[in-house]
Amino acid sequence: MKTRVKLGVAVAASLMLAGGQAMSKEYKVGVLLPFSGVYAGLGAHIENGFKLGLEHYGADLGSDTITMVRSDTEAKPAASLAKTKKMVLQDKVDVLVGVVSSAVLGGMRDFVHNSGTPLVVANAGNDHMTGEKCSPNIVRVSFSNSQINRPVGGWLAKQGVKTAYLMAPDYAAGHQMMEAFKKTFTEAGGTIVGEAYPPLQGTKDYGPYITAAKAAKPDAIYTFFAGGAAITFVKQYHDFGVKKDIPLYGAGFLTSAAYVHVQGEAADGTVAALHYVPAIDTPENKKFQDAYQAAHQKVGSEFAVAGYDAAHLIVQAIKKSGGDKDAFKAALSKAEFNGPRGPLRIDPATNNVVQNIYLFKNEFKDGKVVQTILDTIPDVQDAPNGCSM
Amino acid sequence: MRSLISFRPALAALTLITLLISWTNAEYFGMEILAEIAVLALLAMSLDLLAGYTGLVSLGHAALFGCGAYSFAVFTAIWGWPASLSMAAATLLTGLVSLVVGAVVTRVQGIFFIMITLAIGEMGYELVFKTRALGGDDGLAGIPRLDLSAIGVDLNDPGIFALTLILLVAVVYLLLLRLLGSPYGAVLTGLHDNAGRMRALGLPVQLYQTSIFAFSGALAGFAGTLSAQHTMFIAPQLLHWTTSGEVLVIAILGGLGTLVGPIIGAALITLLRHELSDLTDYWGLWLGLFLILVVMGGKNGVVGWLEAGWRFVARRGAQSKSTARRSNDAAG
Amino acid sequence: MLTDSGFWFVQVLNSLQLSMLLFLLSVGLTVIFGLMNFVNLAHGSLYALGALFGYSIAQATGGMWLAYLLAPLCVMLVGAILYILIIDRMRKAGPMKQVLVTFGLIFVLLDIQRYLWGTDQLGVTSGIPFSGSFEIFGEIYPSYRLFIICVGLVVFAALFLLLEHTRLGAEVRAGVDDPETASCLGVNVERTFFVVFLIGSALAGLAGVVAMPAFSAEAGMGVSILVPTLVVVVVGGLGSLKGAFAGSLLIGTTLTFGQVIIPSFASMLMYALLVAVLLIRPSGLFPARG
Repeated sequence: MKTRVKLGVAVAASLMLAGGQAMSKEYKVGVLLPFSGVYAGLGAHIENGFKLGLEHYGADLGSDTITMVRSDTEAKPAASLAKTKKMVLQDKVDVLVGVVSSAVLGGMRDFVHNSGTPLVVANAGNDHMTGEKCSPNIVRVSFSNSQINRPVGGWLAKQGVKTAYLMAPDYAAGHQMMEAFKKTFTEAGGTIVGEAYPPLQGTKDYGPYITAAKAAKPDAIYTFFAGGAAITFVKQYHDFGVKKDIPLYGAGFLTSAAYVHVQGEAADGTVAALHYVPAIDTPENKKFQDAYQAAHQKVGSEFAVAGYDAAHLIVQAIKKSGGDKDAFKAALSKAEFNGPRGPLRIDPATNNVVQNIYLFKNEFKDGKVVQTILDTIPDVQDAPNGCSM
Repeated sequence: MRSLISFRPALAALTLITLLISWTNAEYFGMEILAEIAVLALLAMSLDLLAGYTGLVSLGHAALFGCGAYSFAVFTAIWGWPASLSMAAATLLTGLVSLVVGAVVTRVQGIFFIMITLAIGEMGYELVFKTRALGGDDGLAGIPRLDLSAIGVDLNDPGIFALTLILLVAVVYLLLLRLLGSPYGAVLTGLHDNAGRMRALGLPVQLYQTSIFAFSGALAGFAGTLSAQHTMFIAPQLLHWTTSGEVLVIAILGGLGTLVGPIIGAALITLLRHELSDLTDYWGLWLGLFLILVVMGGKNGVVGWLEAGWRFVARRGAQSKSTARRSNDAAG
Repeated sequence: MLTDSGFWFVQVLNSLQLSMLLFLLSVGLTVIFGLMNFVNLAHGSLYALGALFGYSIAQATGGMWLAYLLAPLCVMLVGAILYILIIDRMRKAGPMKQVLVTFGLIFVLLDIQRYLWGTDQLGVTSGIPFSGSFEIFGEIYPSYRLFIICVGLVVFAALFLLLEHTRLGAEVRAGVDDPETASCLGVNVERTFFVVFLIGSALAGLAGVVAMPAFSAEAGMGVSILVPTLVVVVVGGLGSLKGAFAGSLLIGTTLTFGQVIIPSFASMLMYALLVAVLLIRPSGLFPARG
């Protein structure tokens, strides 16, 4: 499936008429997202955001054009690697964008590192990919797992929470998120009174875990769940009536804009931290949300924002590089702009994004969940963690 | 019937020639696809020994495939063993694991066999998924390929790697053909047709079933070492029961108990998958419908259809030589 | 915590709730297995359809009650279509081809679900009955979970009465025991198969719509529930109501208490249990046919 996004044709024509020596360049973008399988929903959000970003920022590219090639990763590492190779070696794309699952990113990593083609990661948060396994070719515009959770430990301790119980699905991302929180929380004087890691797949019945967490009598429970598991967990936590004694905190995917309306009243009172909340009050976010909601009849999620900003990042690098494709690659690692989520820039030391983390509260009012920002922790930057470019 | 027995090897030769011709025309991605087809063909052939010839339908075969891939990865990427030794060791280890598993699972039959292999396979999946030393769900990278530079072969070249795998498929096919033609092979087929009668004849049925389970597992493990070298990265998905299901689909779609069927099935499914997923995000729907139609067609997969076609053509040939009256009878 | 009797009581309720959900899912599957010797891997997809139909009906009517009633009927209709188009023709094809056809059906039904309901997670937030919680032995417990337990028990009782005290039940039992003799004795085996398949489909749909308010609905939710359901059916023994009930209780209890007592091995426990049961009793605990 090929989509050709021709932009700025009129501008190009007028430049040529004026006798300008504009060299027109074609930039080919390879979009690698899951369009089938468990992550198909996230794939759709990111692709929608990416297309909107091209529309908003790619309109004044002069004579340059952006062409999109897309491929279904199926969220399977082997299939994704084969398709990555096809895009790089056969379609000769100038930049790859996408990747939801960290396992898929792990499978692509060595090939992308050794190829000359840059990859803009629009989701997969594995810390190592901008840490010990970082690569000059891999730029991440979404988040790292520890980036979201690291600021919360100290913040929560400051709110008077002394003991916490941790819960996350039993897979790498779940453990990375909890480790990051645990470190800063205990450094700030907090105590972890218990941890539980339910299986990622399976019956998704969290009743036994919630009962056990309650019995440990912590001041708060800190969690990471995403997608269907997040909805189920938040609903069950609410049903067990634990929230009034033990408030629920978590990495913001817990009550993501993508599905918080499905949680409804169950999300009430939950406080979470994330790099994007639709409530952010900036002109950039308003422009994004207005256009996104008009096109898709739903709120733009953090996943859509990652796609949107990935497009912004690529367009900015094209503009900066003036047609030189090597300069284009270098420009990706130096990007800096205001997106819907506020100011962000790429840290040249790790190629991970530097961004604000927002602490927000969910309240159920008049049949709707309202998210309000409680606090903003600006400019959260990951330490190199063994990354040397 | 005689023409059918020679039909299958001829079909296998034709399939391999087709793969080789497409190899000469393939670009980078084509090479990837060919290597993928070859690995799946080896795995599906190993499953055909069990499901097709012996009647033991396993839904845990991917776990043995994964056992080979993961042990190869551990031996090379973590312990630093040379790839050749690692391949042998990983294949042997998977064979031993399969021997133990086989001794347990062959104690139950039918649907229970399907479920007990699924359960043991899923235990393997969960174990790998959880084990941080094996990379957990993030997978394991940095797996090297066999170094054949001493004989002037560079397996890091995608074309040469794909060619090597295709040739390996041919070699394994011939070896399995010999095995199945031996008295041992005759016993396996007998087990498939009537395990009870074989038991009454005083044959140690479970011993035979265990031995073929171990052999088939070792071959799956061997395919696993090749898969790990192909992608140079492995993830737990390799062991999941849905992977077993897909391999079973390949074997049955191609034609169970034909040995060449799995090769054709691997090529067909891989190509369909890549072509369809370029056309539509709902490729699963079409793949599923195709599968349902082929199975409901009642023939033994693609090979069954081809054989029926061959019989038809052969009969027409015979008819044209005989009298008009007789040919009318045959058509009726 | 470990000496707190309230804690253990709540965990017993939790295990009962999971068991009853598994029972609703597996009972239809096991009778289809036992009666028709048919392996239906697409049973989980019918569960997902129940949840999704339930979601749409609840959205349209603003409440769950009509959804509980209509969603199983919708799934039954899907079951009827599947039976006429596919299942009926595959009955004598042997388990291998049945596994394959229904494996293909998983893909087809999954994409149809994605096409009709999209890829986002869905759920209802209002009009859910029993959405509060109640206090028992000093512990708070969600009423809805008790509702699920009750639905499971009612279905068990109803099926028991149906099997033991109606003509259809007698035909089903005869069909499971000895299909050929039953057929000779004038039992319309074809019709019995059809009715049983419809009831099995409706029960899977009921499980889906009952689970939906406590979980969420999404295309593909049937795939992850399939394996635990198959494990219940096989552990319990094919074709028997008692087996499905016992298997559900055993697996539900093992999963729940496994998660509490040895959390890091909980995901493997279910499989280990299946292997253990089959090695001791190669046809499951209570097979309908000896």
